[in-house]
Amino acid sequence: MKEYDVVIIGGGPAGMAAAISAYDNEGKVLLIEREEKIGGILKQCIHDGFGLVKFNEQLTGPEYANRYIDEIKKRKIEILTETFVLKIDEKESFIMEFMNREGVQKITTKTIIFATGCRERTSKQIFIHGDRPAGIYTAGTAQYFTNILGFLPGKNCVILGSGDIGLIMARRLTLEGAKVQGVYEIKSEPSGLTRNIRQCLDDFDIPLYLSHKITRVFGKDRITGVEICQIDENFQPIPSTLKKIECDCLILSVGLIPENELIQELGIKINKFTNGPEVDNNFMSTEISGIFICGNAVHVNDLVDYVSESGEIAGKKAVEFIKNGEKTFEKTSVVFDEQFLYVVPQYYNKNTKEDLLFYFRSKNNFNDQKINIIINDYIISKKYKKLKSAEMERLTLKNDFESNLKKINLQME
Amino acid sequence: MKIENIKKQIEKKFGNKISVSEKNGAVLLEGKLNKWEEVIFCGKIAAKSEMHRGVINKISVEGIEIPKPIMPRIEDSIFAKDNYDVVIIGGGIIGCSIARELSRWDIKILLLDKENDFAMHTSSRNDGMIHPGIASKPGTKKAYYNVLGNKMYSEASKELGFDFKRIGSLIMYDGWYMRFLKPLIGQRAKKNGIEMEYINKNRIKEFEPNVNSECVGAIFLPSTGVISPYKATFAYAENAVQNGVKIGLETFVKGMRVENNVISSIQTNRGEIFTKLVINAAGVYSDEIADMAGDQFFTIHPRKGEIIILDKNTHGLVNSVVSKADFLSKKNTKGGGIVKTIEGNLLLGPSAYEQPFKEDYSTTESSINSVFEKERKILNISKNDIITYFSGTRASTYKEDFIIEKSQKIKNLVHAAGIQSPGIASAPAIAVEIEKICVNILKSMMDLKRNNKFNPKRNEQNISAFIDEKERNRLIHENPDFGKIICRCETISAAEVKNAIHSVIPALTIDAVKRRTRVGMGRCQGGFCTPLITKLIHEETGISYTEITKKGLGSNLLVAETKVSEVDKHERV
Repeated sequence: MKEYDVVIIGGGPAGMAAAISAYDNEGKVLLIEREEKIGGILKQCIHDGFGLVKFNEQLTGPEYANRYIDEIKKRKIEILTETFVLKIDEKESFIMEFMNREGVQKITTKTIIFATGCRERTSKQIFIHGDRPAGIYTAGTAQYFTNILGFLPGKNCVILGSGDIGLIMARRLTLEGAKVQGVYEIKSEPSGLTRNIRQCLDDFDIPLYLSHKITRVFGKDRITGVEICQIDENFQPIPSTLKKIECDCLILSVGLIPENELIQELGIKINKFTNGPEVDNNFMSTEISGIFICGNAVHVNDLVDYVSESGEIAGKKAVEFIKNGEKTFEKTSVVFDEQFLYVVPQYYNKNTKEDLLFYFRSKNNFNDQKINIIINDYIISKKYKKLKSAEMERLTLKNDFESNLKKINLQME
Repeated sequence: MKIENIKKQIEKKFGNKISVSEKNGAVLLEGKLNKWEEVIFCGKIAAKSEMHRGVINKISVEGIEIPKPIMPRIEDSIFAKDNYDVVIIGGGIIGCSIARELSRWDIKILLLDKENDFAMHTSSRNDGMIHPGIASKPGTKKAYYNVLGNKMYSEASKELGFDFKRIGSLIMYDGWYMRFLKPLIGQRAKKNGIEMEYINKNRIKEFEPNVNSECVGAIFLPSTGVISPYKATFAYAENAVQNGVKIGLETFVKGMRVENNVISSIQTNRGEIFTKLVINAAGVYSDEIADMAGDQFFTIHPRKGEIIILDKNTHGLVNSVVSKADFLSKKNTKGGGIVKTIEGNLLLGPSAYEQPFKEDYSTTESSINSVFEKERKILNISKNDIITYFSGTRASTYKEDFIIEKSQKIKNLVHAAGIQSPGIASAPAIAVEIEKICVNILKSMMDLKRNNKFNPKRNEQNISAFIDEKERNRLIHENPDFGKIICRCETISAAEVKNAIHSVIPALTIDAVKRRTRVGMGRCQGGFCTPLITKLIHEETGISYTEITKKGLGSNLLVAETKVSEVDKHERV
């Protein structure tokens, strides 16, 4: 059986960054990807806007991916594409069984980094009823059809959900000559980035309808229309607003779900707010030492730059974990008040000497909001002009505390 | 009950709106009422007549138009003047298993279905449970064929190569009345020939530790099994085709030429077909087929049911089929429950309610919610565990029993009709019975010989859900495509998809590939694999992208090619 220090599952932005950083820290690395090429979902994101934080440039998805692919090639990192992980056993080290065109193989590894990304929520998962006609796609599937295969999923489209991929597809389909009748969002606020609302909808005169819900689809063979209504503050349909809109295509951008099924088979629990496993500041699982999780598998990010960042940390820390030889760590729980939807990481290693880094989302939208971060006996305050639940925030803090981290508390004032 | 009493009962409720008469040995109901429930009510009363073999319920409802069957859009004459020994109408599990059993004989068989693929209706719209046979009254055809069919699945699944597992079932109860019912249920089990055991609360916990039950006890039925109903249907169909059965898809029976109580030919949208014998296995439309032959004596009232599919990560919550008894209810349903499928998903339901539409497979919020709420009481699940849901209609007659017989009126017609639950469980036994009936009829018409080339084993490769490392390795070394995963949620390989596309019954639509392989049935519901399957269908068959459909004519996936640049155009030429 081949032995590795770090095996990374998933060759998207998180996994690529993790592979490079683990390699640079002198780990024996294997990167496993189930598709034909590494790059993940970036391969089909031909729009720009990637890399502003990381490279201070506006790159397209494939360009952003290529920066990492080039680095991987330079380092001659071992990659297995079209390879599918079947099973992981936790022994002294981890035994991983996977398959590809060569057959079923087993390897052992000291650490595993899960960079498995996320999947899209489907129409049935948001309880749209009616029959099952063709022409209902998640935005990512529609994007694959349009950008990779070169075919239009519809000519007269309705988009449900104002997630970023939905907004991007509204523009993309318009550019390809399709009519996009509108984007309908159940919440009273858009869920995508403000810049995407502006660049993808406003610039193309595509209307955005907030507090709207699709209640059923029509059509038996191919979709012929949808039933739309406004909803009240309890998300209940207002019957008087019910109307039917004709369309030949319904695109859904109604949320992403971190893909953590493999990790769950190891017995690791999923946090119900992040939909990902709980991690410490090294992106290591708080339940099984040696298991790391990064990128959208931990929580859904808005920007790929932060996905890469978490991969980079996980890769480096996985190698450090092996070198240290320590298996147990004293941890401090990150406590936050109810104005936060979630904060990642959920735990800090007490003796961490590195600067502190938090990703968080607020539950609601706030203007001029102050956040107090209480570390041990210190209170550090940060001011935010705008906090939106739709936009993830990244917060860093210099670690110049003399003692160990005994208390970490985030509060909104 | 006598027909006079039936008349009285109906008159009491609906005055003279309904006429009650006799036709073809059945009670005939005619007239107009205000609600569908009233139509069902009348049918049920009429079914109480022991003197009549069925109920023909022609009562219509003000404001409800019953749609005609959805017809294929093809019109051609590929079967014009073709001669067959047997024509089977209906390609569900009943028609397909009959075709397979009859292919043991050296005869010309044609298996027809109006859809572009088999198992498009009830056979793919159920929970795949192989019932033990406790729910049916002793002496009914349902009880007889269910118990026999259940036993036959051990052998059939091996021969035809599909997964079958006896996972057992628990019917939990909490009622005081069980004291009185216990001996009765025990007697029924004995009469039907079913193994069963009463278990107490503690044993329930041992069997099903995650089921929150206030129940005092349960009936344990070890013979209950599960299969994939659509995969099993294709196993039968493919084996039938291998053994010489011809198939006619998108072939709709429009009428029959009947002379002297003999069907001489069948009119279809693809030509007139001549045959010695006709088998009616038309499911929810079996009453209309009987009518075409002039032998209607029953009406199908489609009882709809909805089923919820949970994510596979809930697979550990139950080990068997679990339900809560509802012995006091008089509803015609097994009551629904939690079924652990052969692939490890949990299914909730089905519900059961009367409604007039045979092919309406839409779902509604209220019915899905009620299915979910019912099972949530005994299992710790959340709505986030739901990956999808679907509906189907049961081909129930008012007598609520199967019709498995040679027509009493038409000399060359055999009915395998009114097959509702437990139809899947009964299919192997029904098929053998119909084979016997047909052989008897055919013997009088021709010199009947065995098909000496008959091979009971299916050639098509089936990948078991329980495949081990060794077997997978063997397959991959034979064909590396077995190592390339297309459907990540269900671990389905490119080889399996290609095999389905090139099967003896080719799968040329997304749903057809799905029914044979399960691609797209997992938690992402085809989000990742639909484009990949589309690409494979295109590459393997040459069908252009814009012509590839989800489930046949009109359900195209893609509408146009994206803008082609001048440079591209040049290169493509």
